[in-house]
Amino acid sequence: MKALLKKLKYRVERGLCWTGEHKMRAVVLAVILAMVAPRPAKSIILDPCCAILAAGLSTISSTLSNVVGGGLNGILSVEQTIANFEQTVVWPQNLIAQAQALVGSLQGTYTQIQRVVQIPVNSATLPAPQQLEQNLLSGNSAQIGQTSQNFVGVYGAVPPANVAPADVRNEVDMTDAAAQAAMKRAIEIDQLADLEIQAANQINQSIQTAAPGSAPIIEAQADAWLVRANAYTQAATADLMRVRAIALANSGADVKSGAANTTGLGQQLMNLLKRQ
Amino acid sequence: MTAAFFLLFSWFMVTARTRRQVVGVALAGTVAATLVAPPRVLAQGDLLAAINAVLNVINGLIQTALNSINAVRSTISSLYQGVIWPVQLINQAKAQVSQMISQYRNLMQSVFTINLKSATLPAPQALESLMRNHLTSDFGALATNYTNTYQAVPASTAASPDDRNLTDMDDALAVDNLKMLKATDQADDLTLQVADQIENGAGAAAPGSAPFLTATAVAASIQSQAVTQKMLAAELRQEAAWLAHTNALRKRQATFTGQLGAQIQNLLKRN
Repeated sequence: MKALLKKLKYRVERGLCWTGEHKMRAVVLAVILAMVAPRPAKSIILDPCCAILAAGLSTISSTLSNVVGGGLNGILSVEQTIANFEQTVVWPQNLIAQAQALVGSLQGTYTQIQRVVQIPVNSATLPAPQQLEQNLLSGNSAQIGQTSQNFVGVYGAVPPANVAPADVRNEVDMTDAAAQAAMKRAIEIDQLADLEIQAANQINQSIQTAAPGSAPIIEAQADAWLVRANAYTQAATADLMRVRAIALANSGADVKSGAANTTGLGQQLMNLLKRQ
Repeated sequence: MTAAFFLLFSWFMVTARTRRQVVGVALAGTVAATLVAPPRVLAQGDLLAAINAVLNVINGLIQTALNSINAVRSTISSLYQGVIWPVQLINQAKAQVSQMISQYRNLMQSVFTINLKSATLPAPQALESLMRNHLTSDFGALATNYTNTYQAVPASTAASPDDRNLTDMDDALAVDNLKMLKATDQADDLTLQVADQIENGAGAAAPGSAPFLTATAVAASIQSQAVTQKMLAAELRQEAAWLAHTNALRKRQATFTGQLGAQIQNLLKRN
């Protein structure tokens, strides 16, 4: 022990001696030690800063819980109510699937309708009527060019000028024109109707894979097709009315011709009697 | 960390040999000490102000924003449930569909299926029955029964080619239309089935599934319109053929009248 104390004393004296010899180094060491020396830990009991910090953090925490947490919980509750309402009342998945399945099952019926209205109905037996009938039932507007020729094959041409008077030829020509135009329109309408049925099937197929949000878009397109179909129906009705108007005009013309012919015949008989 | 730094620094300082080394170690130590030195302790006033600022943000800005969001979402929820999709009105609409189905469907069906057959003789009765049976599988029988009632096209020895063509064309278009009507009657039945199915679906639909039904109903309307057009086209052919028929007779009459006039003139000239 004595030897240890002696050794310690020797070390201290040597250190003091070194300090005396190296004053500048000692000062630098002292300054650095002062800079990096750890501060004493602050106690929550003794240091007022810690108490304030703790109280502040506690207040912030409770405020966050009450104000932010409470507010967020309120929003969450409303959002859950809305989500639940939308999923059970507005867009229930099972009812959407049910509607899609119904649309799918209707597709079969649509195909049946398409098949039924496309069954051939040809019935003529003689060559000329068969040709005209084939043309009229073709549903192919490319064949409209042949209609007039086939029509003349069955119903004859307008009589030549040396056979019939001009008024009769005009009447006959106008009547043939109205009849042929109506037949041509019938070919057009048949083709358009086939295309509409095809489009309706296409639309119905796309509804099966639609979402509740996209179905109205398809519906809008279908509505446009319906408007278009109505226009074609009106065009067909117009031609039907034209045919009937010409038939009425013919009836009137027949009465007029009858009156004129009667007067002419009477005049000729008078002339004949006068001569005799 | 700090102790290790100080020991290391002391070692370099003690073992430095020249004044230049001492200055270098001192400078390096000062810089390092500045970096590792504990941060400045805040004054009490600064801390209170910071906490108050945070509390003010929470109680002011955040609380106001959250309350506003909550109010808006609550309003939207009320709008959905009270105005746009009120459950009682949805149920009322579904109930109305069911009620109207029971009120009208059977009644309309019974009206629509009243037997309209009126022929009294065997041949017309058979034809009428075939014309109205809504089948497309017996077109051959229809043609046969049509001939039984309206006779066949005259043989080539019994009528002129013009007359034979005219009658064959008349018969053909009449039979075509009768066949077409059998087909459209069947299509009509199918369309009514579609309407029933869509109406049944509407009775069990939700606001979100109804667009599927309205869209398919419009598609069905297009098909129905197309079938109507097919019928109109057939009617057009029929009316046009009738017009052409009367016109053919007019042509023949004009020809005969011309020939008769010429013959009378020849006769008078001879006398």
